Amino acid sequence: MARPIEGTAALALALALAAGVAGVKAQAPAERADQPGALGVARMRYMVGDIQSSVAFYTGKLGFRLVTQSGPFFALLTRGDVQLLLSPVKGPGGASQPMPNGDKPLPGGWNRIVLYVSDLDGEVARLRGQGVRFRNDIVRGLGGDEILVEDPSGNPIELFQPTAGR
Amino acid sequence: MSETQVNLRYMVTDVPASVAWYVETLGFTPVGPASPAFAAVERGPLRLLLSGAMSSAGRPMPDGRQPEPGGWARFQFVVDDIGREVERLRGLGVRFRNDIVSGPGGSQILIEDPSGNVVEIFQPAAAFQAAR
Repeated sequence: MARPIEGTAALALALALAAGVAGVKAQAPAERADQPGALGVARMRYMVGDIQSSVAFYTGKLGFRLVTQSGPFFALLTRGDVQLLLSPVKGPGGASQPMPNGDKPLPGGWNRIVLYVSDLDGEVARLRGQGVRFRNDIVRGLGGDEILVEDPSGNPIELFQPTAGR
Repeated sequence: MSETQVNLRYMVTDVPASVAWYVETLGFTPVGPASPAFAAVERGPLRLLLSGAMSSAGRPMPDGRQPEPGGWARFQFVVDDIGREVERLRGLGVRFRNDIVSGPGGSQILIEDPSGNVVEIFQPAAAFQAAR
């Protein structure tokens, strides 16, 4: 069952990388040879309830671009240098499998991508006009102002406007 | 702030202990002023914002919900040899949430930081690696 997906996803990603898609960078492991471990590219993975509606949300509301999608089982999106992997709570992918103790990966939590914006008030007004859910109101902090948007599965995305001069 | 900076925020219970863990375990570098409420660490294009309960990000929501560590959203490090990386991390006494899982796109495993946040180590399937 998983075989055709594997081929499709790997090929699409390979093509995307070969084509030099902006934001998708294969950092040479050797660059980090001085560091512990051979850690390369860093990306964010969110668990979602449904790939299609999630892709529509991130591309339609938050300006992400779809790089590759493997049907209902996986999607890779980019926004600037942010790479976002979406994995469904059920599917053949490794990220969808339960833990040895039975815990199932779910959407939600508080860890998130932070998207910098230059006009937070304007951005919040724009998104509210589109019916986007927010978890809180704008919080004024020391380093800047922030607010938490929720994707259709309840994952948070932070919009952050740094305090002027920082 | 660099144009190519990728910013992620993790909620943590102990900011200084978290900075130490990310530096010693995953090779991050501290950046900017650190406090008991907040600190940032960097590795390559990734800037990880570590926020404690005393930071502005730690304030409760209007409905009373309190931000906390944990969950499943995580950043992923892509490696060429997951077995070797797991061996290195086990040698450091790092906690794992599962064992290596192989899926259509590759193999992955989840480690936990001191607050219980997940970091994913991922080795792409062979077809993907060849494309690099």
